[in-house]
Amino acid sequence: MLKVNQIDVYHGDLQALWGVSLEVGKGELVCLIGANGAGKTTIVESISCLLAPAAGSIWFNDERLNNKPAHRAVQVGICLIPEDKGIFRGMSVLENLELGAFNPSSRKLRYETFKFVYELFPVLESRKNQMAGTLSGGEQQMLAIGRALMGRPKLLMCDEPSLGLAPIVVKNIFAVIKQISQSGVSILLVEQNVRAALRLAQRGYIIENGRVASHGEVKDLLNDEKVESAYLGTA
Amino acid sequence: MITQLIAQTIVNGINVGALYGLAAVGLSLTFGVMKILNIAHGEFLMVGGYMAFWLLTLRGIDPFLSVPLVAVALFLLGMICYKFLFASIARFEEETKVKNSLLVGFGLFLVVPQIARLLWTGDVRSITPPYSGESFPFLNVRVAYVPLGGLVIAVAVILALHLLLTKTYFGKSVRGTSENWKAAKLMGINVERTYLITFAIGVALAGVSGVLVGLTQALTPDVGMEWTLKALIVVVLAGIGSVGGAFFAGLILGVVEAVGAIFMGPYAVALGLVIFLLILMLRPQGLFGNE
Repeated sequence: MLKVNQIDVYHGDLQALWGVSLEVGKGELVCLIGANGAGKTTIVESISCLLAPAAGSIWFNDERLNNKPAHRAVQVGICLIPEDKGIFRGMSVLENLELGAFNPSSRKLRYETFKFVYELFPVLESRKNQMAGTLSGGEQQMLAIGRALMGRPKLLMCDEPSLGLAPIVVKNIFAVIKQISQSGVSILLVEQNVRAALRLAQRGYIIENGRVASHGEVKDLLNDEKVESAYLGTA
Repeated sequence: MITQLIAQTIVNGINVGALYGLAAVGLSLTFGVMKILNIAHGEFLMVGGYMAFWLLTLRGIDPFLSVPLVAVALFLLGMICYKFLFASIARFEEETKVKNSLLVGFGLFLVVPQIARLLWTGDVRSITPPYSGESFPFLNVRVAYVPLGGLVIAVAVILALHLLLTKTYFGKSVRGTSENWKAAKLMGINVERTYLITFAIGVALAGVSGVLVGLTQALTPDVGMEWTLKALIVVVLAGIGSVGGAFFAGLILGVVEAVGAIFMGPYAVALGLVIFLLILMLRPQGLFGNE
């Protein structure tokens, strides 16, 4: 479904990605792991068309996405939950969710989607008139996920959803991600919590210094000695 | 006697203050959403005023009826100005954006009044429909029809803008963009288009205030800067981001200036600048701002 072919991406004059290729199939849960600054965020931002690759191509189904505006990526069904969650803090929870369904095709279905999101996160319904900035960190992450679901994505990309959250909340968030994945949405998960990510995903890509260092089925990555020593520690 | 004088002064102050508020709302909107400070806001106000003046003089169109015409015309003018002058700025980082928009604004401030002088001469004009100057008694003050009409229009426009921003999907996308443009892009909001329309709405608001200014005060090609300054004072007083707040702050400034004039005469104009400095020192986020 998503095919990234040999992309080079620059931040100004600085090259951040070198010939990165990756694929996400329909209904698949794929994780991107790697150290801070390896380029994981740059990859998902390129797929969301926030950044334009200097070389290579990004295909989603049969549409070439490079150099398209960011709202085009949303229209074809790609949704990114950014690392800072991108909550509209001065707007109510309800308004945040409404903006999640901004795209006309998801806007038509928004009342149904509301029900679904409120079932998934009852706390959002009870706080719907509260300013989003007053929510706790975990609630904000729930809002970010709920808002992303309002857009009825085909591919959901989560950039470090566990960042800064209490372990118990992280567990919940991962459970929700798994549930979303089982409902048929493809997921590209960026995580520093490597063990949890590999447990959740079917396939993984390891990013080092802006390149794909290795990739494959999760069980192979878990058995890979290099991965084990670099990311999992010898247990 | 003195209470009557003060009451009358407050009524006059409210009339002027409504104009300050309306002029400020457009400036506040573009600055809040796009982080562009449009120093030429007053020039658009002047153009709107002249347009209503000529519509009345040449075509006999009532200035209150020309308000929607001016709004549409200035909306289009705003779109053109954005496309050719401001669109390239919108891509920069926030700080560069403010600086560059100031430069473009100053450019317009230098050019537009000169064009206006060539086209319409430097004569002082004011929009005088047949009923201007008429008034009716209310309690112990006299209320003039024209400023009252201006007040009604100002309140109606502000209310409409408030409803647009809080109740419609488009308005919510404008507020989302103003809070976090990157997240707005990830929601599928066409941020470029939002900027274009927001800027045009700001210019249209300036045009509408121009009509009301022309009805109650003098129009010359040079009134622009004065109104930009007033609008800036009001925006600082109110804080960024609140439409109702900007309007209310306009009323405060109008009343303070009017009442001040009783005691200080012509020096009352300085009161606005005093308020400006005090707010910057004591409450930099403004009276109604959040951050």
